Amino acid sequence: MGAERQKAPALGAEDLCCRYREPDVAALVGVTLGLESGELVALMGASGAGKTTLLKCLNRVIPSFESAALSGRVAVGGRWLEREGIRDLAGEVGMLFQDFEAQLFSTDVAREVAFGVEQLGVETDEARKRVEWALSAVGLAGLSRRDPSTLSGGQKQRVAVAALLAMRPRAMLLDEPATDLDPQGRGEVYETLGRLRSQGLAILSVEHEVESVLGADAILLMRGGRIVASGRPGEIASRVELFEEAGVRPFELARLFRSLGLEGLALSAEEAASAIKRAGWKAAEEDGAGEQMRAQGRLVSLEGVSFRYEGGEVALREVSFTIREGEFVALVGRNGTGKTTLAKQINGLLRPGSGRVIWRGRELATMPRREIAASVGYVFQNPDHQLFAPTLFEEVAFGPRNFGLGGAALRRRVEEAIAAVGLEGLEDKDPFWLSKGERQRLAIASVISLDPEMLILDEPTTGLDYRQALEIMRLLERLNRQGRTVVMITHSPWLVAGYAGRVLVMEEGELRWEGAPKEFLLREELLARAGFEMPPVAAVSRRLGSRAVTVEELVGKLKKQEGVDREK
Amino acid sequence: MTLSLYLERATPLHRVHPVTKVVCMVGTFVATFLLDEPLFIMPVVALVASAAAIARAWVNFCRLRWIFLPVFVFTLAIWTLFYPQGGASEEALRFGLGMALKLVTFLGTGVVFLSTTTIEEAAYGLSCLGMPYRMAFTLTLSFRLVPLFLDSAKAVVEAQRCRGLEFSRGGPLERFRRYVPVIVPVFMGGLRRADHMAIALEVRGFSCGRRRSLVTKPAAGLRDAVAGVVAAAVLVLYLFWWWNGTGLIRPGV
Repeated sequence: MGAERQKAPALGAEDLCCRYREPDVAALVGVTLGLESGELVALMGASGAGKTTLLKCLNRVIPSFESAALSGRVAVGGRWLEREGIRDLAGEVGMLFQDFEAQLFSTDVAREVAFGVEQLGVETDEARKRVEWALSAVGLAGLSRRDPSTLSGGQKQRVAVAALLAMRPRAMLLDEPATDLDPQGRGEVYETLGRLRSQGLAILSVEHEVESVLGADAILLMRGGRIVASGRPGEIASRVELFEEAGVRPFELARLFRSLGLEGLALSAEEAASAIKRAGWKAAEEDGAGEQMRAQGRLVSLEGVSFRYEGGEVALREVSFTIREGEFVALVGRNGTGKTTLAKQINGLLRPGSGRVIWRGRELATMPRREIAASVGYVFQNPDHQLFAPTLFEEVAFGPRNFGLGGAALRRRVEEAIAAVGLEGLEDKDPFWLSKGERQRLAIASVISLDPEMLILDEPTTGLDYRQALEIMRLLERLNRQGRTVVMITHSPWLVAGYAGRVLVMEEGELRWEGAPKEFLLREELLARAGFEMPPVAAVSRRLGSRAVTVEELVGKLKKQEGVDREK
Repeated sequence: MTLSLYLERATPLHRVHPVTKVVCMVGTFVATFLLDEPLFIMPVVALVASAAAIARAWVNFCRLRWIFLPVFVFTLAIWTLFYPQGGASEEALRFGLGMALKLVTFLGTGVVFLSTTTIEEAAYGLSCLGMPYRMAFTLTLSFRLVPLFLDSAKAVVEAQRCRGLEFSRGGPLERFRRYVPVIVPVFMGGLRRADHMAIALEVRGFSCGRRRSLVTKPAAGLRDAVAGVVAAAVLVLYLFWWWNGTGLIRPGV
């Protein structure tokens, strides 16, 4: 990762500056980087740090597609580029997007993979070989005749990787390739990328979760269009403040080490636990008291709910549970296990095929749609599915207006909702120009303005950076404390550990387990069912004989033993 | 939910070369529209029905019965009742029946084509016949995008219903206005997606300007000759009848 190199790297840039014209902002300021063949480098930073702009400059989407003032130079495949555009680089640099639907356009997997090879005019026999090779390289050899739209998210993303790979690129750019995937799909993608390094590819991948890229050769941290730090994961991940300043969630074990005053960093739970023991820390005795569930009234109960989509397989099987007033429930499970279908039963968007949903003692199926809408707010995963109004105020006012609210009462309700999500002062702005995090908050505001008793959120932090995700979670925590019941579908262990009061685990359309987050996060077989991995802190905690799942909790439970020096 | 009509089957019709399929389809369209007498339209109806049977495409006809039935019934009713020389006569009924058969056969031919041809094969067939590749690809890509748009529209409708939007209240103008909160997000989402798709296509060399190759090249064979001869014979027969004025109904003649 040398900064001052003369020789052109497999993928790199030298003193790259990029300034967008509309609006006039400097997106990249003097960026220099270089990747050699076979290197996997993770690019991290908050939204707006310049990560995507950097990728677009490296494969010439800028300036070929998007207009911007550029200076500095870019290297691909060991040569410095001069006037080459995106078309000239086709086949040399692959780029994978977060939105996997937008990059698949064929009717079967083999054709999808063949598309790029055909555009390059590769001779038929060779092209066929390449398609086979690329599919086996991503572990999808048996699926060549499948329609890509019938695959899981992780498989779709691997098809997209194979489609690029078959073009035999020298470098691959990945823009948050695993964001929309469950932890299992995420694992599949990174495992595939790991294997590709041995093929001599230089891979630059944008990622929000440091845990996913501990196996990379280097991590680059970006802030304000600049690379502010770079180094091997083991070195750089220990710099908690740096990550916090850059708006990236710091590595949990690094935070743990810092809190305990330990130097250095362990990347695995095993090493971390031994280092902590060596330094003389010991877990205090567990008091044995389980988490106390506050006794509250029943808000909604599902009684043996089964559901099947028309012409499809059974999506829910005999699901029964109760949610009480004021609870904060995390609904977890792999993609396609019925979480969203279940959530839609609670808010009446879907009706049970058999069984009943009881809302405050009444059967939901007998309640008018409007009454349900006013009681159960539902925030969809993609905020853009609901934003349409010309101003923030109008957007938030839309729901209450549908219920006949007007005048001063409406204004008050809207202002409160906008203030609750921290967007005050932007009431007259067009939602189109907000960042993804702001749009997500606006979507929440436009639902809480209906003043619902229960709020259901489908993966509310997907695609958000750490700061934005924290803002959303703090908002939900606040709303929950004010008495609103929250149900959140999520794939993030740290959200479950930090915020949920109860976890429901869905598997193959069935509710397989419900209980306290701690029980869930410390039991491997449960985590595996939900496609989760154990959070590093929970894994360390278990090795130390404690049952903590967050850094703060574990630090609170560790006691320094007398007579043992702190490790230097 | 899948909206694609293509059926993955290994029937002889599936293996017919896309160019032959496009040509036969166009020939059938022409033959269908030449004559008016229901009796004379029946051979082409039988041809399309046989093709559907060979392709084992009945399942698609069943799926689309809610299009076929209304088209047949309404065409029959409208042409019978509003026949130029006074409606509801025996001639009007024959003319109406002929029109209904023509439209249903027309649709049926399209369904057989889409049941046996992938969008890639269709694009290849069209480009072999002289349509510029980019145009053929874009045309077929739009088929691929329809289900994505519908999925997104469904999600938007659900999201807005959760915010208390009701589509069934008020007069026609009022109802139309209620669709604004659906149309805007679907349209904006479509634009965002199109933007991503354009970059994804470029990255995969869509306009790299090189001569394209084909990994799976459809091969022409005996079945193409058979299909071509059958379609040509039917077309010639219909042209002959039409030339002779057989099977025509001319209002007022």
